[in-house]
Amino acid sequence: MIEYINNYVLVSIFVLLGLLLPVAALTLGRFLRPHRPTPEKGKPYESGVEPTGSSWVRYNVRYYLFALLFVIFDVETVFLYPWAVAYNQLGLFALVEVLIFIALLLIGLVYAWKKKVLTWT
Amino acid sequence: MTAGISGEFVAFFLLSLITLGGAVFMLSFTRVVHMVVALAFSFLGLAGLYVMLEAEFVAFSQVLIYAGAVSILMLFGIMLTRHDVDEEEQDRRRRHRTFAFVAVLALFVALFKGIVALVPAGEGKLAEANTLEIGKALFTKYVIPFELVSVLLLVALVGAIVLARKEGHDA
Repeated sequence: MIEYINNYVLVSIFVLLGLLLPVAALTLGRFLRPHRPTPEKGKPYESGVEPTGSSWVRYNVRYYLFALLFVIFDVETVFLYPWAVAYNQLGLFALVEVLIFIALLLIGLVYAWKKKVLTWT
Repeated sequence: MTAGISGEFVAFFLLSLITLGGAVFMLSFTRVVHMVVALAFSFLGLAGLYVMLEAEFVAFSQVLIYAGAVSILMLFGIMLTRHDVDEEEQDRRRRHRTFAFVAVLALFVALFKGIVALVPAGEGKLAEANTLEIGKALFTKYVIPFELVSVLLLVALVGAIVLARKEGHDA
């Protein structure tokens, strides 16, 4: 129990360092760099052309499918972790089970492929 | 644990603060992107709480799936839809507040009763290597549910493709 907590003390030190580094770098940059804003500098860059409309654009629905594919295969990965950890104690039956699991999801991927979700026209 | 302020107490306090603060900020922000960021903090705080409960596998699935994938999915959803802050919408929201409070209270009571009925009183003991134990249970006792999960994921995937393709043809 004590060992477990101590491990996570290390983890939290790393988390704190990870948070601290970018914050420190950005704060330091703020003090070091000159600060002279003009309206031209604040504009979004559009290859030297005056930007028109709002910066809020709606994206194509196709992007969403990529995100969804990512989520589904992410969930699959999470199920593979306990299998990988317990692999030595489970043997062939579990291997077959996992292969069925992956095959079923591959059907989904093939379906997406056939429906031309992955191609960009 | 001795009485008074221990490291565990401080950690629990900070993580609860992050979780609840994220949830409260998520509700009070008006811009959806800010809401998702607040929600991500809530997810990470929950993962920390799972770690404190020694449920490491659940904690890291929480980070991978909720803090990672679900937040990304929400951001994509936001990018695809229109979000002008509407005055009329705000007004309607305020009127729905009482109704929402009653609904949330009912949900809380139902969940609380369910959890109390489910969990026996007293402190439970988790296995040391709980990823290993989950793996063993998943592939011996719960094989059928595990395979059904893959079917569920497949159905979700195909359903999403069918819906999105139809939209794509119309546009």
